[in-house]
Order: sequence, then structure tokens, then C-alpha cells
Amino acid sequence: MNASWRMIFGRRWLLVILALLFAWTVGRLGTQIVNLSETADPWAASARFFGAAFSPSFSDQNPSLPATATPFLERLGTDLLRTLRYAVIAISIAIPLGLILGLFASEQWLPTNKSRPVLNSLRWILRMGLSLIRAIHELIWALLFLAAVGDSPLTACLALAIPSSAILGKVFSELIDEQIRSARNVITASGGSGAQGFIGGILPAALPDMISYALYRFECALRSSAVLGFIGIETIGLGIRRSFNNIYYGEVWTQLYVLIALVIIVESIGNLIRRRLRNGVPRRKEAPSDSETALRKTAPKDHFVRSLGMAAIIGILAAWNLGGILLKPGIEGQRIERLSRFLAQLTPDPVAPERPVPTWEERKKAWNTGSDQVIPWLTNLWKSPGQEALTNTVAMSVAAIILAGATALLLVPWGARTLASAKPLGLEMMGGKIRGLIGAFVRGIFILTRAVPEYLYAFLLVGILGPSAWPLVFALALHNLGILGRLWSEVVENRNTSEPREILRLGGSRLQAFLAALLPLSLNRFILFFFYRWESCVREATVLGMLGISSLGYYISIRESFLQYDQILFFALLGAAAVIAGDILSDVLRKKLRS
Amino acid sequence: MSLIQVKDATRRYGATSALAGVSLSLAPGEKVALIGPSGSGKTTLLRLLGLQEKPSAGNVSTLGCDLCAGCAMSIRETRSKIGMLPQDLGLVANLRVIQNIVLGRSGTRNLLRTCRDLFFPSKSDRREIFESLQRLDIAEKMYDRTDSLSGGQRQRVALARSLFQGAEILLADEPLSAVDPARGRDVLKLLTSLSDEQGLSLIVSLHQVELAREFFPRIIGLKEGKIVFDGTPTDEQIAELYQS
Repeated sequence: MNASWRMIFGRRWLLVILALLFAWTVGRLGTQIVNLSETADPWAASARFFGAAFSPSFSDQNPSLPATATPFLERLGTDLLRTLRYAVIAISIAIPLGLILGLFASEQWLPTNKSRPVLNSLRWILRMGLSLIRAIHELIWALLFLAAVGDSPLTACLALAIPSSAILGKVFSELIDEQIRSARNVITASGGSGAQGFIGGILPAALPDMISYALYRFECALRSSAVLGFIGIETIGLGIRRSFNNIYYGEVWTQLYVLIALVIIVESIGNLIRRRLRNGVPRRKEAPSDSETALRKTAPKDHFVRSLGMAAIIGILAAWNLGGILLKPGIEGQRIERLSRFLAQLTPDPVAPERPVPTWEERKKAWNTGSDQVIPWLTNLWKSPGQEALTNTVAMSVAAIILAGATALLLVPWGARTLASAKPLGLEMMGGKIRGLIGAFVRGIFILTRAVPEYLYAFLLVGILGPSAWPLVFALALHNLGILGRLWSEVVENRNTSEPREILRLGGSRLQAFLAALLPLSLNRFILFFFYRWESCVREATVLGMLGISSLGYYISIRESFLQYDQILFFALLGAAAVIAGDILSDVLRKKLRS
Repeated sequence: MSLIQVKDATRRYGATSALAGVSLSLAPGEKVALIGPSGSGKTTLLRLLGLQEKPSAGNVSTLGCDLCAGCAMSIRETRSKIGMLPQDLGLVANLRVIQNIVLGRSGTRNLLRTCRDLFFPSKSDRREIFESLQRLDIAEKMYDRTDSLSGGQRQRVALARSLFQGAEILLADEPLSAVDPARGRDVLKLLTSLSDEQGLSLIVSLHQVELAREFFPRIIGLKEGKIVFDGTPTDEQIAELYQS
């Protein structure tokens, strides 16, 4: 790191820059946090909502429901299963697709001969394509798909699967290229082909990390599947929206609890698998060294991970085959007509043909007459409202990540396991029991806040506080607090150097050990994760506006009701550009920090 | 007939030349130690001998195969007779010992067979691997994960891979760097006795001059990409080699 970078990342400068940025976002987004009509009492509304947390409802709160209606708990069960089912189907499409994309996006298949530069540039084009696909949010994919091919459940699954495949492809390719080449080189040096070197020397080494990341993506798909409910797909999000709009807060909380429980269960299973893949299982029986057969029979096998693998396969088969039909039957012609109409709506207005289902000739004519209007059309959209919407979106993401980071920084010294114990860093100290309790509480906050998707927080907070940018900022901040808190705690827990222990040994407190040793030692990695989460905040912020707050998502949802898909595409790509810019920026910063 | 024939081999990386005009030849079953200070070109020479790189100038022919001039057998077939023991051993940490060893025969097997070998190694392969692991005294580790083994055990796994490969030449790059200094002697004893038993030719790069003298009748001293001596060096020659 050279001197100028050190200037920027010197601790004081970083704080000043972040404070200035936060001040800018406040100036941009205003100071109005509550935006309700004058007669409404925000305190009473929140008291009613949060009060219901202690009395979740297990039956319908609507008294006038006919006796024939499906009871609440049964509906909830169906919604939950459906949420899970769509996530499973989506990930079962995304993993094989991500594997293939990841392989081609990696350096592994590139030959060493003269065609390498050409093929390498193709690889970079593929990588950029993957970035673009993943930069567009699941909700936008779902909106576009619903319009293009109709509202079959398979549409929802594809909307989840497409960005997931892209991100899996990108991460898989990085994991593959990160592996040490030595084992592969031995295989090729002893006459093996490049493919054999990859199968034997690279893939097995990358596999645990790939499985681990795919599990995390499944968690994300589960949350996204729930969120799809807010645009009308019948997952648990739809149930929550309905109950909330009818002020049946007891029902809302029951559904929230069930969703949180599901996410936490999936996350804990994932963590168990990760740990086992990393450490392997110890040999249980003493190895008999005289017979190969006996050795093979007593070989350490991870029955837990194996049975979970089997369960996953059965689960995927069940998700595809059991439950309601995935593709609503439609006459082929209708589907094609619908797609054709959608494509016409997607065409920029100046060159769009007049009839909804145009012929090829009509398209050509429309292009010839209007093509010179396309640039002015784009400029106008950018001037109003594109520019402002984009700035608001970025401002929301910046405000949110700074809030999340500041809160996480306050909580991490209390939550990190190595400090929150009777023996911090292996040293006997006072007050262990209370610290242990506080630690468990803080880690509980991290788990709970990250279990709920941003969009769901945003929906609830906008419902309570009224439509303004800040509920969205808080929603983003809450979810990211949970993630940053966990990632940062792990960084602190993995610092096993003597400096913080020395401070404790000299009589310092745990907080002093954190501030004087653990924090400075971990700061680079903290910043790394901070930027990584900021980039995903930008992505999420592009859709939160759909809840009626002036930003990109707002214009997307407005244009959707007018079927102006050309403008939706413009705003979606504008958001994608911001995400990609954030992606590149955080990539550059991370590389600078690593070196 | 010589197994390896090197004539005026030069290897440049950009402006720096790692090897500058090296010539040597090696007879079947011969044992050679390569010594010299860090950066003297030992690893580069091993890579050239292993047919992993072409020389920038001059000729390197291993088992009758010269990457610049042509090969008696195919390159892959030739390579399948050359065993490599890189400094970091080149083992996949999270694979079982048997899986790492069975990959040694990739050069004579196709991709499908390699996939099969990883999951369901054949009975004869299993027996063969078991026997060679017995000889190396780590048979009980055959089905354990490689990263649960100690440094010395892992080295024997890598050695078993070359034996299973059926190598005629073994090129080992600083095999003592991964083991306890006290065990260095054992490792070299094992390597040289295997070479004697199987007629395996051995080229080992080393930092330990004393051990090289003890175990290797022929020592090649490399300095700044050139051969300083080849044979049994005198004390003066050794001192000169490490003089900067």
C-alpha cells in the first residue's frame, strides 16, 4: 500500500469521509423520518404493532371469514412450503448452471497456445455478462418474467434462479481460480490432460468452498422467495402483506416467526455442513493395518453430511414433482403472442411499433421513422427522473451501510466469542457469566436481524412510519447489521495473536483489548466486508423504492402499472450500472487493502 | 544409452536468465543431488528435465523426448514415466490418501477412468496402493483425509503416488523442506533405497550439503544458472559455491 492510500485508509480520514458521506445522505434524503397524516399517532401505531409480537395469532383474526375458508395455520403451512419449494427449485436450476458458467468464466479451460488472448477476452465478456445479470434484482426479473411469459410458479422460480446462477457462476469461477495449482501441475506433469488435472487437482480442493457458498445462496433464495410474495407470487410474503394491510398484526407476527425459524434452521444446517467439510471426521475405530478391505470398511465417513446430501436430492425431486403444477397450461400461440407483445412494450418508445403484436415489417418501419429519437428519449429519461432516482438510491444505500457499520462496530466487542467469555483469549477474568450472557444476546440480535429480508423490513417499517426514505434505510441497515455483525465477529474470533492477550494480561479490560489491539488488527478485513455489503445494499436499494419512495424502484413500479416496460428496462439498467460501479469500486478497494 | 541429455540449455524469464548454458547427462538408475544457493536455477532445471517447459535455447531430452526437436513416444506417454515431487508435494488436502495416489496414473488413463478412480478405485489398484503404503509404513492412513497426516507422512503419500505412477525418473524439489530437520536423513534413506530397489533414477535438489554428500555419489553444484561442478566436490568447491 502506498502513502496516499494509507492517507485515505488512515483511521481518522476514514471516519471523516464516512461522516461527510452520511451528512450528504441526510441532506439528500431529508430529516423527516415519520411521514403519517396529522391525525395519526406513530407511537400508538408502533405500540400496537410491536405489542402484537407477544401475542402471535394461531387462528384467523378476521371474524367475518366464511366457515369454508382455509384456516389460517393451514394457509401459513402451505405458504411456507411453497416458499421453500420455489427456493429449492430455483437453486436446483442455479447450481448446475452456475457450475457450467463458473467453469467457463474461470481460467481453467484456456489453452496456452496462440488462441489464448482471444478466448480470454471471451471469458471477460462472459464475466461482465454475469455481473450484469446479477446486478438486476430478483424482483425486477420477476416483474419482467411475469409480463413476458405469464404468472406460472415456474416464472417465479426462474426469476430467482437467473441472478443466482450468475452470482454462483462468478463466485465459483473465483474459487476455482484461487486454488493452488500444484496438485494440478503434478497431474499434468505426469502425463495427465488439463481436464484430468482440473477434475483431480482443482475441483476437489475448491468443492468445500463451493458447497458452502451454494448453501448460503440457498438461504438467500429462501429469503427472496418470501419477498416475491410482495409482487403477488403466492409465497409467505403475500400472506404477510395481506395480514398487515388488514391490521391483523397477530397473524403478521406468527408468519414472521415461522419465516425466521425456517431461515435460522437452514442457516444452522449450513453451518454444520461447513464445519464438517472443513475439518473432516476423525477415525472412530482403530485402523487395522494388515488388511486393505478392513481398512476400507472402517474408513471415516461423514454419515451426517451424506444423509443430508441424500435428503437434498429427495427434496429437489419432491419440489419439482409434488405440489401444484409449475407451468400453467396455456395454448402455445397465446404464450408466443404474449411474448411478442412484451417485446413490443420493451422496445424504446420512439421506435416501438403501433400495434401490440407487430409484424417484422412494422418493426422495421417503426425503427426507420423513430431511430433518431432514441437518444433524446434516453436523455429526457435521465434528466427526469433518472438522475434524481439514482442519486436517492445510492444515498439510501450509503446511509444504510454507515448506520449498519456503526451499530455493528458498537456490538462486535460484546458479541465476539473470544471476548464474551469467562476466559477471553484464554485468560482467566472476572465477570465471565454476565459477559457470556450479553454475548449470546448480541449474537442472537445478529441472527434475528439477518434472518429477515430487507424488503420485508422495509414493507413493515413503511407501514408503521409512513412513506419516506428513512424506513427503507433502516430496513437495509437492520439486515446488514446482522450480516456485518457476524462477519466482523468471525474476523475478531480468528485473530489469534498475542497483542490483545498481552493487554488483558497487563490488566486491561476486554474493551481495551478490542480497541487497542483487535480492532486495528482487524480493520482491513472490516473495511473489506463493509464495502462488500455496501455493494449489495446498492442492489437492494434499487427495488426498495417499489414501496412508494422516490428512487429507482418507485419509478419501476409506477411504469409497471402503465405497462411501460421500455422505461422499466431503462431504470433497471440504470440500477444495474450503479451496482456494477459499486462492484468495481469495492473490488478495487479490496485489492488495494489486500496488497 | 542415457536417460537424460541436456546440451547448452538456457532458460530466460524476461530479462533474467534462470539457466545459462547447462549440459549434463544421466544414466538409468543414477542418483544425483542438485545443490546451490537459492535462485541458482535448481527448480528451473528440474522443470526443464520434467518436460514442463522448453529451454529458451539449447536442448533437453528426457527419455528420448525433446520438446523442441520431437519425441520417440508421445509427450504425455513420456511424462507418465517422469515422477514429480514438488516442494509443496502437490497433494489435494481434503482428498483421501488413496484418491491422491490413484491420480498418479492419470497419464495412462482417460478422463472417465480418472473420475471413476476418484470414487471407485479398482480392486487391483487398491491392492497395489496398499502394498506400496505398507512398504512406506503408512498403510493404516490409506483411507484418511490427507490433511490429517503429518508433514513426513504426506511426503510418503506423494512418494507413493510416484511409485504407483510407475515413474522411471523421480525429480524431487527440496523434499526436506516439509519435514522435521531430524527426519531428513530418513527421507533420503527411503528415497535412495527405493531408487536402488527399483532402478529408479533420482534427481533431488537439496540445501543440506552434508546429507547430499552422505547419500549421493554424484553432486551437481549450480550457481547463477551455471554448473560449477559435477561429481564429488571438494570442500573448496562447496565453499566457493555458497560464496556471494
